[in-house]
Amino acid sequence: MRRLHRSFGAFAVIFVLFMVLSGLAINHSNGLGLDQHKVSQPFMLGWYGLGKPSSIRSYAVGDDWLSFAGSQLYLNDKTVATIPGGVGAVSNGDLFIAAGGDELFLLDHGGNLVERLPWAPISAAPIEAIGLHSNNIVSVKTAGQVWLADADLLNWQRAEEPVAIQFWSSPKPAPDELQQRIMHVYRGEGPSLERVLLDLHSGRIFGPIGVFIYDLLALALGFLSISGLILWFRGRRNGKGKNRK
Amino acid sequence: MTWSLPALVSAASVYETQAEFLSRAFNDSPPEPNILWLSGQRKPVVRQLLGHDYPALRLRYWCQAARSAWILDEIGKELPITVGIIIENSYIKNLRVMTYRENRGGEVATPAFTDQFINAELEESNKLDVRIDGISGATLSVQSLTRLATMALFLHSETNCQNG
Repeated sequence: MRRLHRSFGAFAVIFVLFMVLSGLAINHSNGLGLDQHKVSQPFMLGWYGLGKPSSIRSYAVGDDWLSFAGSQLYLNDKTVATIPGGVGAVSNGDLFIAAGGDELFLLDHGGNLVERLPWAPISAAPIEAIGLHSNNIVSVKTAGQVWLADADLLNWQRAEEPVAIQFWSSPKPAPDELQQRIMHVYRGEGPSLERVLLDLHSGRIFGPIGVFIYDLLALALGFLSISGLILWFRGRRNGKGKNRK
Repeated sequence: MTWSLPALVSAASVYETQAEFLSRAFNDSPPEPNILWLSGQRKPVVRQLLGHDYPALRLRYWCQAARSAWILDEIGKELPITVGIIIENSYIKNLRVMTYRENRGGEVATPAFTDQFINAELEESNKLDVRIDGISGATLSVQSLTRLATMALFLHSETNCQNG
């Protein structure tokens, strides 16, 4: 029993010390400012699932940039809409037009949503590209077909004959600083230090396995208490026996 | 190791497509769409009716004679409900839920509920002149549809459709 108690004790000492220190820090997190301090190290952001977008595709629209990162659309570094599967963006002078596979987003120059235009009522084929024809006529390419909008983007006509579209929108490398800002907005500020400590304290930072291991450590502590009591009683009894002799 | 927040898993129920709605509204020959900008004096009225700004600066609508058709979105509890509303001579001719995305409260898509809006019109206080009975468990969706019906009647009054 004594050997088992010693082994469990040595095993649990680091855990106990960590629980004591982290518990004290959590108890005083407001005073220590832990709830205000954000953990923004890339490793920790990745650990919390706040990963980088698989890619940032940017399109120059006049002096501004429209960028797709994950499912988000950004006007410069401002989030303006959610468009899964963005395929391109253009400006017809009055509006910015961003295309997803099955919808178009019309935005004013401040990034405010003017209209969301589902593509399904116009064509069953998904949008493959967006571009500009002469006179800034917005054009959309679907499987083997080209569609031309009217000036207000209210009506769309399928081009009956092949048309030479002036340009199809294609991604361009945005300035590095802008890409960094988009990345920062996409990933957010990160969890607070208090949250990280709470998750460390509970084991949840390691997921379900972490919680299970912490359960085992808690049981070890329970065993230590009981085995300690037993050893104490035994020692006391043995001591009394020796005194009688 | 990473974990993520529980995802909102919801299958949208599509009851009517835009083409079907317009075909129904205008006897198989829908007119070209028009645009109504939600700016100027309309913006604060819409904000008052919905309790928030409508999430777009312009709306398209379809108008023929004194009839107008509107496709509007409003959040129920967490997700938008898409509703098609037909108005004629300042009365609601028909209101139908086109797409319902919430997990609960889909009963608002049944004609038993939406028929309550038929012939409703706008009072001077910008409220419906009929009482819409709620559905237990779908209170937020009921409120959303009522707000959209009110908004559509107001928008109709802002168009030339009202003059036929």
